[in-house]
Amino acid sequence: MDVLKGNFQTKKPATLNKKSDNESLEDRFEREALKNLGGSIAFVSKKKVLWGDEDQN
Amino acid sequence: MAKVLFINPVVREEDVPRHVPYGIALLAAIAIEKGHLVQVYDANAWRAGDEVLDTVLAADHWDAIALGGITTAYGSIKKIAQRARQACPNAKIILGGGVLTSLPTEIMTWLPQVDIGCIGEGFITFPEILNSIDLGQEEFNQVRGTISRNAEGSLVMAPQRSLLHDLDSLPYPAWDLFPLEEVYFPNSTALFSEEGMMAERRLDINMSYGCSMICRYCYHLGISGDMRYEVDKNGKPSGVSFDQPGTYNRTIRYHSPEYVVNLVKHMHDKYGVDFVTFLDENLMTMDRTSGGTWLGRICELWHEKGLAPTFEADGSWSGVCWSGTSHATLCNPEILKIMRKAGCVHLVYGYESFAPHVMKTIGKGATPKTNIRSFHWTLAADIRPVPNQIIGFPNEDFASIRMNMDAWKDLGIVVKPHFATPYPGSEWFTVYRNSIERQYGGNLEDFILDLGDATKITAVISHNFNAVELVGLRDMMLNFDYRHLEEYEMIWRDNHGIKEGAPSTLYSEPKLKKAS
Repeated sequence: MDVLKGNFQTKKPATLNKKSDNESLEDRFEREALKNLGGSIAFVSKKKVLWGDEDQN
Repeated sequence: MAKVLFINPVVREEDVPRHVPYGIALLAAIAIEKGHLVQVYDANAWRAGDEVLDTVLAADHWDAIALGGITTAYGSIKKIAQRARQACPNAKIILGGGVLTSLPTEIMTWLPQVDIGCIGEGFITFPEILNSIDLGQEEFNQVRGTISRNAEGSLVMAPQRSLLHDLDSLPYPAWDLFPLEEVYFPNSTALFSEEGMMAERRLDINMSYGCSMICRYCYHLGISGDMRYEVDKNGKPSGVSFDQPGTYNRTIRYHSPEYVVNLVKHMHDKYGVDFVTFLDENLMTMDRTSGGTWLGRICELWHEKGLAPTFEADGSWSGVCWSGTSHATLCNPEILKIMRKAGCVHLVYGYESFAPHVMKTIGKGATPKTNIRSFHWTLAADIRPVPNQIIGFPNEDFASIRMNMDAWKDLGIVVKPHFATPYPGSEWFTVYRNSIERQYGGNLEDFILDLGDATKITAVISHNFNAVELVGLRDMMLNFDYRHLEEYEMIWRDNHGIKEGAPSTLYSEPKLKKAS
C-alpha cells in the first residue's frame, strides 16, 4: 500500500511492507488488553521480560 | 517549484488516529495552489515505524520537509527531524504549529536539525518560505514570521507576521492527500453522542480562530492575537510572549457562513461525509462576536443546502450531523434549539469545575450557576453536553473536590477529569515556569516530552496537592468515596497545620517571576 499521497509521482515508491503492515497477534492482544487494564484484566508484556533463566527455577 | 514532503507526526499514540491534521491539509492545499510539488506522509495515520519513514525520506530528492503539530507531538517530531536530517542532508527542514510557536527559541535549540521555524499562522509565511527555497536563498530572516539560523548558526527571528483576515480566501484542505478510506473513515466513531458513535465517514473542520475568553490554562497557538513579540535593546525580535496576568490580546476571526456550508456540502458530495466535527476553540464566541448571527445563518444554510439530517427509526440518517464546542455563559436556549434542528448532536463544554472559588481564578467567564444553566438548556435542546472537568487547579482544595462530586451526582455526570496542565503558551505556563522546571530537574525539554492530553499527571500547579495526592483524589472522586476523602483531609490538615473548620488551602495568588 502506498503511504505517500501527492500531486506528482515520486522517483521511488514508498509502501507499507508486509512486516509493518500486519500487526502481530501478540501486539494486537497487548494493545487491546491495555485498553481494558484493571481488575482481572492483567497481562505479561512479553517484550519486556526475560524468562527461562536457570537461577529462577 | 519546490518538491515538498509534509510529514504529520504521531500524536496520542494510545488511541487510533482520528483526526486529519487540518493545518497540514490546508498548507498542502496552499502549496499546491502555488504550483509546488507536494507529497504527504501521514505518520500518525499509518503508525508504520522507522523503516517506512526511511523509505519515504528516500523516495525523492526533497527540497523541503515540512513538519508541524501541537506540543504533544514533540517526541515524534524530534525523532522524525533527526532521521530526516540524516537521510536528506540538503533538504530544508521546516517546523511549524503550536509546538514551535509556544517556545520558538527553545525548540530550535533542542532541534538543531530544523532549518526554519514558522511562528504562529503559516498561511502566508509557509508559501513565502517555499518561494525563498525556490530562489535558492540560504537565509530566511527576510521572511516574516520565521525563526532560522544565519551563516554562523545563530538563531535569527524575523519580524512578526500579521494574521490573515480574509479567511475565505483559503482553499479547501487537501483531504485527498490523507488516507481517508484506509485509516480515517474506519475511525470515524466519536463516543460523545449516539450519532457520533454511529458516524461512518467523519471529517473535522475549523471555521474560526480565537476565543474571547482568557482561560489561564489555555493556549491559542499564536493565531488568536494572543502572541506578542519581544525585542532586544537593538529593537530586533528576540522572543515571543503570550497571556500574562493583566495582559491579554485577542483577535477573533471566522469564515463566512457561506464558506462553512459550501465546504461541508463539498465534503458531503465528494467524500460522502456523514458527520462533521467543528474543531473551533469556541463556536459561541464567534456567534456573540457576530452579533448572534453567525451560527444561525450557518444553520439556515445547512437546511437550504439539504445537509440537515433526516433520521431513520434505527438512528441512522441521511445528511450531515455535526458537533462542536460551546460555552456555558455565551450560549442561549434559542441558538441551541436552532443548532439541533440543523443536525448538531453534541457540544463540548469546558465546565472544568463546579466550585465557585475555583471558577473565579481560571478566567473562564463562567460560574457553577452558568455551567448548570447551560447544561439543562443543552439537554432541553436534545443535544448531548460533553461536560469536561479538570482537577488540580492552583486553588483546588477539599471543598472544591466535594462540590464537584456533589454536582456530578446531581447532574448525572460520568467523567474522569483531566489534570490541570500548564501547556506552553498558556498563562499558567508563564506563571509557573520555574516550578515546572524544578519538577523536571531543570530540564524543560523533559516536561515537553512528558506532555500528553492531560489524562495523566505531568507538572503540578496545585498549591495544595502533589501529584500522588491528585491521582489518589481523582480516584476517590470517581468512586464517590466521601469516607476516605474525609479521612485523608484530617491527615492533610494535620500535616499542614490547618485546623478543622479553617479553609483547606495553602493557596495564594501567584506572582509572575521571570524564568531562570
